[in-house]
Amino acid sequence: MSGRRTAFEIYWEILVFCRTSQSFTGIVNRCNLNSKTGQEYLGFLVVKEYLVEVADGDKIRYVSTERAGEYIALFNSLYRKLFDTAPRFKL
Amino acid sequence: MHESACLRFRNEIRRFYLITVANIVFAGLVMALGISVSVQQAVLIYELSSIALYTTHSPVILCIALVAALAGLVWILSSIRIFEGIKAIKDDIDWKGGEVPDEAFTRLIVRMLSHYRDNRTIIRTMILVCTLGGICLFALGIVGSLEYLSISAGGIVFTLNTYLVVPLMLLTLGVAVVSLASSFYFSRFAKVWDERLGEIEVFEVLLKETLELYRE
Repeated sequence: MSGRRTAFEIYWEILVFCRTSQSFTGIVNRCNLNSKTGQEYLGFLVVKEYLVEVADGDKIRYVSTERAGEYIALFNSLYRKLFDTAPRFKL
Repeated sequence: MHESACLRFRNEIRRFYLITVANIVFAGLVMALGISVSVQQAVLIYELSSIALYTTHSPVILCIALVAALAGLVWILSSIRIFEGIKAIKDDIDWKGGEVPDEAFTRLIVRMLSHYRDNRTIIRTMILVCTLGGICLFALGIVGSLEYLSISAGGIVFTLNTYLVVPLMLLTLGVAVVSLASSFYFSRFAKVWDERLGEIEVFEVLLKETLELYRE
């Protein structure tokens, strides 16, 4: 996904993608980030314990924790709410 | 609850898609008519001996036609950029069919929000361009339907060509209505999505609190 997104939208996207373990390159490609911002987002989520680093040979992979599930659920419900209530666009 | 939200989202995207398609069609018409009249006027200016020089040739018409052609071009380019994004989202919804899982639905919302944020300025410009294009075409339609026009200190004398008036006026009216309708619906669309962006700012406070909860 590209275009202007808020940090919270990017966190959500990373956490959903990392439900199965993912490499750093995989995450930045999927979430359309550059290495610098990718590192910042992943660092933040690891510090907050929404992501854990898992060693896979000599590489590090990232997996979402159970706490991430709460954030994902809250995010889904809030964004869905945008279309549950007014305003709406009609012809 | 979820189905209605999903259905509402799907309908909104389809409606906006239709407006964007209509925009491209009518932007093409405005540009084509603008170019056609510009060329016609340029030829009249070049052929000084032409009898038409004394009837419909006017630098004002040429200016209006050029503005219409330019407005049509800007209108097409803006519409296409918006169209591409909205088409991709619409195709995704259609491909997913009736049942859209929670996360896929949220992803579509985030995509649409991102597309809207990217094109917010363009949409605002389009609201103005639609109106300008409509006005130019309306003026061209009126001027084009004149067989003879003379403006002097004594007054304005004009003759209407009855064969030209009906189709040109119909085309003018049609495009003017579509331009104004486009402008209106784009304004409404922008208003609704601006309100949603406002709501997201409120949500962000909650999301921030959730993320900060596990600081230690």
